[in-house]
Order: sequence, then C-alpha cells, then structure tokens
Amino acid sequence: MNMQLDMRLSRIIELAPGIREFWLCREDGGELPTYSGGSHVVLSLPLPGGIQRNPYSLLGDPADCNKWRIAVRRQEQSRGGSVWLHDSAQEGQALKVSMPANLFPMARLGRHHVLIAGGIGVTPMLSHARELARLGESFEVHYAHRAPEFGVLADELRTLAGPDLHCYVESRGETIDFSKLLARRPLGTHAYLCGPQGMVEAYHRIASEMGWPDTHVHSERFLAPPPGAPFTVRLAKTGKAIEVRREQSMLEAIESSGVQPPFLCRGGACGQCEMEVLDCDSSLLHNDLFLSQADRDSGRKIMPCVSRVTGGCITVNL
Amino acid sequence: MTAAPSIKSQPVYHAIDWDQTGVEHLLFIAADDPATLDRLLANRPPGGLTLVVAAAEAAERLGVAGVTARMVIEQNATSALHALESLLQQATMGLRLYLVGPEDAIWQAAAVATRYGMSSAEIRLYQTGTKARPVFCVHCRAMTRGVRTNLADCSGCGRTLFVRDHFSRRLGAYMGFQIDAEIPGEKPPVETVYP
Repeated sequence: MNMQLDMRLSRIIELAPGIREFWLCREDGGELPTYSGGSHVVLSLPLPGGIQRNPYSLLGDPADCNKWRIAVRRQEQSRGGSVWLHDSAQEGQALKVSMPANLFPMARLGRHHVLIAGGIGVTPMLSHARELARLGESFEVHYAHRAPEFGVLADELRTLAGPDLHCYVESRGETIDFSKLLARRPLGTHAYLCGPQGMVEAYHRIASEMGWPDTHVHSERFLAPPPGAPFTVRLAKTGKAIEVRREQSMLEAIESSGVQPPFLCRGGACGQCEMEVLDCDSSLLHNDLFLSQADRDSGRKIMPCVSRVTGGCITVNL
Repeated sequence: MTAAPSIKSQPVYHAIDWDQTGVEHLLFIAADDPATLDRLLANRPPGGLTLVVAAAEAAERLGVAGVTARMVIEQNATSALHALESLLQQATMGLRLYLVGPEDAIWQAAAVATRYGMSSAEIRLYQTGTKARPVFCVHCRAMTRGVRTNLADCSGCGRTLFVRDHFSRRLGAYMGFQIDAEIPGEKPPVETVYP
C-alpha cells in the first residue's frame, strides 16, 4: 500500500506564465510502469513546514517507460505545494512519487468520446487522447483556456486529434456551450471533463437535463485541502492525540505522527482514506466529493485528505 | 416466481416503470401482456415515445387503444430486433430503452443495445409471457431456444443438456451441460418446468 518510487525532476519547461511542465525519472535510471489514460500520481513535496502530498494527472504517453510528465499551475491562494514547484524546485531535485492510480478511466465500451478541458484540466485529456488515438477510437477534444498564451499543450493535442481539436479562448469571448456540445450525440457517447468547479457543475447539470445517464458523464477534479482552525485528532486504537495545524490536512497530521493510513487521490475524490468518526465535540466540515448526503448527515464518516472539523477534538476509529 | 433465485446470476425483474430522467423513450414489446402495457401507457413520460411491437396480439390491442406514439409493428421477435437496431443507429443520448417480453427476446434486445454503447442505467427489462429459456451448450457453444423442460437436446451437438439457473447476461441464456456425462444413459425424467 502507498508504495513510493524514488524519482527526480529531470526536466522543467516553462509552458506559460504560471504553468510549468515537469518530467520525472527514476533515480536509479530504471524503467517506469506503464499506466492507463486518466491516471494520476501523488508527489511528496519537501516543503519547509513538512511533507505535502499533491496529486497530479500524468499527461505523457502512457507507454513511455522512461519518464512521466505532469504540468502544474501556480496556485497563489493554496497551501504552497504548487508555489514550491514553481519557485524552489530545480532540475535534479529528488522526490518521492506514488505509483499511478486511475480514478478517471476511459469507458472501453464507448462508441465515441468527447474530451473537455478547462485550463490546466487539459493534463488528463492528453493521456486519454493519446490512448484513444492509439486504439483508433472515435474522439474529439474541446479545450477552453483564459487567453491564447495559456493554450499550453494544444499543439500536442492537435497532433493527436487533428481537426477534432476545438479551442475556446476566454479572452476572445469564446466559451463552451454544453447544451450545444452535448446535443444530438449518438448513443454510446461518453463525455469526460476536467476543469474548474463551476464548469464541472454546469456540465453535470446540463448533461443530466439532456437525459445523459451518469454512467456516460465523467469528470475529475482534485481539491486542495482548505486551511481552517486548528484541532486535535485522537486515534481510538492507540489513544494517540495529534494536533492538526491551520494549513495542514488531517491526513497529513496523522501521517506526520508516524501512522500511515491508506490513501489514493488526496483530493477528496476516491474514498480510499475514509475514516469512521467515533466522537466529535465540534462540527464536521466536509470538503470531499465522495461521501453521499446520507453519509454526511450521519456524522459517522470523514475524508481526512480534505475535510476537517471546526475545532476541539475528533476521535476516529484508527 | 417471487422466490429468490437459487443462484446470483439469475435475473430478478421488478415491476417496470418509466425512467423520468430520460428525454426519449423506446418500448420494445415481445409479449401480449395487456395489464403491463395499459399501466405503462396510462402514465406516459415526458418526451418522445416509440413502440416496437413484436407480438401480433399486442399490436391489435394497441391499434384499438389508439395510442399516439411512433409505432413499429413486426410479426416476430427476429424482425423486431432488426427494427430495434435501425432505430438505435439513429438514436441519440437521452434515450431510455424498455424491454418487455420473454427472456429470450428481451436479452437479445439488450445485447443489441449494448453493442450501441447503452449501459444498464439506460435499459430496463421486464420478463412477461412464456418462461421458456434460451440455453447455451457449455460443450459446443450452440444456442437452443424455447426450452420449457428441465432437460433438452442441444441443437448443436445433440447432447442431452440439463438446464441450469446460471444465466449469462452477455449471452442472454442459461447454461446447459450434459446430464449423463458421468454415467451414460442415467437421466432423470423430463418435466416441463418453464411454461
């Protein structure tokens, strides 16, 4: 569980203002495992305040055993991982990286695939497009970005999708109209979206209104754990009490105490790190995309990768 | 009928109703079951409705009822499956498919829909009419249709097959295996169990 590879940043490419591409190679020069389109890896970033683990989609060729590629947008308002990758990371930097996991796989039985990217959400679409092109499947790509210079990797997408790549440049007033994009699609069409929250919500709402079943409407969004008031987490089985700092996630705090709970996406999407709540003297702040409303209402479950409590002490069955 | 199946793979059918999340609806009827039809048509869902009717008696009844829907009437299940396929070729996302009839017909229709990329979330099945089983020979892989008895001669290899409850959704058939493979000639009496 949670096996990590010793890797190093072998190349850093400035793609656009605030967007960098990183190549990751194995420290020992060995071959990397292949992965499926839509996979991500978790990087352990050595920040001054401690290790921060962030998920990034792999954007390269899934069959490339020499390097993995990721692209990172600098998020000023976040917890520092992306800022570190932009300001401090140098070529040659050693990093621990998880094995690839895929929470955003292609539907193999689909007859046509519509890939939709908003901004840096283009990264998983590149590995999808590459795999679909290799399989000879029918697909198209719709890529919305802020301004012409932010259309990073569009050239690479064009070599895969040709005339079936459609770009929408916000600064020119171009936006994706989902009610047009999803209209009159043949049976067996699957849609995939990675982008900002508002875009993901509009996409799901409109697809549902147009009668698309959830089985054909895919999306991926990783959340960063929002900071909040400090609190204490108590592990029932060992009695250990751990302080969770303002900018730390509950999962990171538990890990820093030497306990290693299972995890996969670290972005509130996969459900792997779910913990049972035995007691809580404040309120649960659910930030994940995984738990159902019924689970939330029960007050018995929490996803410690992105969720926290308003203060005081929470006891989990760990 | 209401007893839980002895084996997990055997389908359980619940009373069929319209899926309100669809924007187009296609009802495939391969049995004469006026009660189910009347109930469904009395409460039509919003959006377009197409009927593919593979049972002559059902067609007559529908004609009398003056149902206002796009209607395709076929004389048998085979031609109805072809009609279904040409409709699915033209169909778009948002369609829901309802398959009503004997298991042989509705699972063949489900296989056509699966070929067109539909998922189980878009298809509802309801068994009505004959309980006769399509049987897949695990020895020669031939299909024997319309089996009403516990034992049946395989249409491919001629072996006497015992008809199991083990059902394959992909093949739309129950598994049949040679009843007297271990002691040749030793066979239980033949009984009609799937009327």
